[in-house]
Amino acid sequence: MTALLELDRITKRFGSVVVADGLSLAVGAGDIVGIVGPNGAGKTSLFGLIGGDLAPNSGEVRLEGRPVTRLDASARCRLGIGRTYQVPRPFVDMTVFENVLMAAQQGGGQRRRLSYARAAAVLERTGLGNDANVPAGRLGLLSRKRLEMARALATAPRLLLLDEVAGGLTDPEVAELVTIVTSVRDEGVAVLWIEHVLRALTASVPRLICLAGGSFIGDGAPAEVLAEPAVREVFLGTEVTTSLAGLAGEAAREDA
Amino acid sequence: MSTTGSRAAALVPAFTAPDVRVTRSRRSTVWVAAVAVVLVAVLAYLPYLVYSGTTSLLVNVFILMIMASMWNLLAGYAGLVSVGQQGFVGIGAYAVVVFAQHGVDVFVALPLAMLVSGIVGIPVWWLLRRLRTAYFAIASWVVASVLAAIVTSISSLGSGTGISLLPYLNFSATLLGAITYWAALTVLVAALAAGYLLLRGRGGLVLTAVRDDEIAARSAGGRVGRVQRLVFVVAAIGCGGAGALLAISQIFVQGSNVFNVSWSAEMIFATIIGGIGSIEGPIIGAIIYYVIYETLGNYGTWYFIVLGVIAMAVAIWARRGLWGLVADRFNIRIFPVGYYLWPRADMVPAASVPPGPVPGTPVPPPAAPAASPSPAGEELGADGG
Ligand SMILES: Nc1ncnc2c1ncn2[C@@H]1O[C@H](COP(=O)(O)OP(=O)(O)OP(=O)(O)O)[C@@H](O)[C@H]1O
Ligand SMILES: [Mg+2]
Repeated sequence: MTALLELDRITKRFGSVVVADGLSLAVGAGDIVGIVGPNGAGKTSLFGLIGGDLAPNSGEVRLEGRPVTRLDASARCRLGIGRTYQVPRPFVDMTVFENVLMAAQQGGGQRRRLSYARAAAVLERTGLGNDANVPAGRLGLLSRKRLEMARALATAPRLLLLDEVAGGLTDPEVAELVTIVTSVRDEGVAVLWIEHVLRALTASVPRLICLAGGSFIGDGAPAEVLAEPAVREVFLGTEVTTSLAGLAGEAAREDA
Repeated sequence: MSTTGSRAAALVPAFTAPDVRVTRSRRSTVWVAAVAVVLVAVLAYLPYLVYSGTTSLLVNVFILMIMASMWNLLAGYAGLVSVGQQGFVGIGAYAVVVFAQHGVDVFVALPLAMLVSGIVGIPVWWLLRRLRTAYFAIASWVVASVLAAIVTSISSLGSGTGISLLPYLNFSATLLGAITYWAALTVLVAALAAGYLLLRGRGGLVLTAVRDDEIAARSAGGRVGRVQRLVFVVAAIGCGGAGALLAISQIFVQGSNVFNVSWSAEMIFATIIGGIGSIEGPIIGAIIYYVIYETLGNYGTWYFIVLGVIAMAVAIWARRGLWGLVADRFNIRIFPVGYYLWPRADMVPAASVPPGPVPGTPVPPPAAPAASPSPAGEELGADGG
């Protein structure tokens, strides 16, 4: 069976900066995969390449075996790729409900009553039910992150790309978020999840990928990936290192 | 699309969809519609009440309202900052001449000229569609200049010196003035209705989203290119109509006038001061523009200084124009194009219902049980979108 998403030797350069250096990756339907990497590793760019905001210099992106490299972000979304933005991009002068409704109608292909119902359901699910008629521009950061998630979910994705949705959240908020993501995964949606908050990731993904300098330097169970010398190397000297050591130990104990 | 079925199956909501209630505005808008009808009726009756000087001034105001409404759709929604709309103004004006030369009555030529302008808009959009922001602006100006160069080189259209419509007008002056006025009013109402329906339809959400963030709109599946093309062609038709009305009301068409970039400047000014990104804004802006013009137009330099100062003040202190200030202050919308989701107490577990209204959330009228007749007048059932 073909994988849901396949990256085939994707290369992307911004001038002399190589953000993707011949990346290949396969993600199956219903998989949940964490992505970590230092700042500027090219994680967000990878989502741009998958979602269609960025066109690669070479290589191919396939969805269920079908090449989508030449399709724009809108067409890819309608084929089932939903994404969030690391820096939220709400439609500020529309209400929260209208933000999500637009996604349900366009990306999700729902009309009228069905689109209203889906938008309302997604708002409830992401905890935005009470903010439905508030202009999105008035939301705080936490709610903006929720809205990113709500809008992506409203498009009824088969592949959900989450770019640091937990960044800047408190522990209970992260826990709430993890619950939502896991329940989405349980419905058969594949999730690619970039996160700096490693605790959120390692607890909920069976597979972790480490990206650095445009290349994958680790791919496997979180404990193994985090224990790899190459991975520890790139995080060396960053504040992540200490928590990394702890997490690797924790994860190893859980595996045992 | 073949994938729709499998996708619907892929994401079954975690809980069954609540019975949602959505209206296009929180308050009833029936009275607004009634006022609009009365207003149009009064305006239509005006030629019987006032001197022709007044109606011919109003024709100019209507023309600017049409242009500004079109520019607002382009720049205020579709994210297309055009400074080349004079190209379509000129096409519309000259199309009237061509049709008249072929024996078509000028008022029959008016809608035909709009059609021609819209048809010209299709290849122009094809040329411009990949450009945005300043590049789009400059390219649209270049295209308009090319159109002007082509049209004004045709000798049967008077080349650069212009051409009179007088030989083709078999009306008395009074009648001509009145019919021109009614024609301008009709085109204006049609332009506003087109903009309203465009924004109220399904593409309206996409347009409003594009206004705020084009990239995010694409990522949410928005068929951005499609609505932009639609808006561009509608704006070409509207500006063509404005040009045709100019030709008829001035009875003379000259390239340096109808293809002048100052038309773009005027529509931009009216839209910005009135309020970009709302249907109401350009209407208000066109009125303000003519009030200033009528009071200060004879003072030359002062006139332009006042225009400049107002534009700057609005750009700095009222980004959404004067209508934006009024709308926010009194929370009014004349044209209901949004979606209001009615809060349902039973959608939330009783324990978590907040004691008071959530800050920032509009409070529904006290008595709004689902069973009572809809206070918003237009409940959306099967035919909402
Ligand atoms: N549009 C662009 N033009 C030029 N350079 C870019 C562009 N987008 C990203 N870059 C560069 O590419 C590199 C990778 O950026 P990217 O945002 O993908 O990293 P990231 O892994 O998401 O980082 P972070 O953890 O900070 O979010 C950075 O050096 C960035 O400056
Ligand atoms: Mg990033």
